[in-house]
Amino acid sequence: MWIYEKRLQFPVKITKTCPKTAQLIISQYGGPDGELSASMRYLAQRYTMPVKEAAGLLTDIGTEELAHMEIICAMVYQLTKDMSIEDAKAAGFDAYYIDHTSALWPQAAAGLPFSAVEFQSKGDAITDLTEDLAAEQKARTVYDNLLRMITDPEVREPLKFLRAREIVHFQRFGEALERTKEKLDPSNFYYFNPEFDKTMMRSFGR
Amino acid sequence: MDVNRDKKHLAIAGVPCQTWGDLYPDGQAMKAGTVFEDLDMPFFVTEGTVKAGILPGLQPAGGMAAARMRTREEEERDQLLQQICEVSFALDDLTLYLDTHPQEQEALKVYTEKNRERKALKKKFAEKFYPLTRDCMAECSGCEAFCWQEAPCPWEGGCI
Repeated sequence: MWIYEKRLQFPVKITKTCPKTAQLIISQYGGPDGELSASMRYLAQRYTMPVKEAAGLLTDIGTEELAHMEIICAMVYQLTKDMSIEDAKAAGFDAYYIDHTSALWPQAAAGLPFSAVEFQSKGDAITDLTEDLAAEQKARTVYDNLLRMITDPEVREPLKFLRAREIVHFQRFGEALERTKEKLDPSNFYYFNPEFDKTMMRSFGR
Repeated sequence: MDVNRDKKHLAIAGVPCQTWGDLYPDGQAMKAGTVFEDLDMPFFVTEGTVKAGILPGLQPAGGMAAARMRTREEEERDQLLQQICEVSFALDDLTLYLDTHPQEQEALKVYTEKNRERKALKKKFAEKFYPLTRDCMAECSGCEAFCWQEAPCPWEGGCI
């Protein structure tokens, strides 16, 4: 169950229309390392995660990623809501306009639609947590790249906030991996699959 | 020599567990993107761009001209909402810390205090302005119609 709270996690107030910037930022909505992908990855992985703290963390970070998706969407929306046909053409946003007008649709910066192929839910705690660590770093790199390219401070502040969250999430997934390692055979972490070989997990897990 | 102990660090990722340390005040935490001073690791490209005081995003849309036109009630609403956002964010960050450090008593103490503060602020906001969640509707009094959809949409920038 989820409960909606009528506010953004971080405020977005962009006063200058800029479809070009929207086209770049939209990648963090529907792109390979975007917030939608992040949320779906964590919320999918949690069901079979054998260590309770890790499953709880996946729920909480997966939920926060939904709030981040809302921040990104608010940015794209505010950057394009008052654009004219000329604005869209000049910014190279005309192809998007043809299919979606100024509505929100999850796609990557280069136009590829959102796809579940971009993330994994593999059913092995070490594999999934290692994927999550990598995912946070990939998202941080995208925010770094956006921050190098975008100069408007109204756009940069939320991007800086979102970048900082990736670092915190990386730390937490690292800690979840440590908690998981504590419950495995310390001489061989790969002796069994902690999510599938439940009997063995019980005999090692404290 | 304990062979097992040595093997423990081979062929696996390892991240050091964070220990409890200094926290930023709520407003500064929001700006830094974390309440933990130890996890504040900015990108060189953005160094020196943060101006002291209010976040650009927290200024009313339309710049200063629009600011002057705002009523006292709107100002009060935005201020209260900002307080809610700041304390809520500190709680978001503390929740993740407690997920991986459930026994940390000091963290739990701060979490409980801030949670009470947030609850009181949300109640006040619902009584004076509008409900932020459906649960908050219990605090609204004197509404003649269903007031859940009365509030401005968060993405409009009309509210934080």
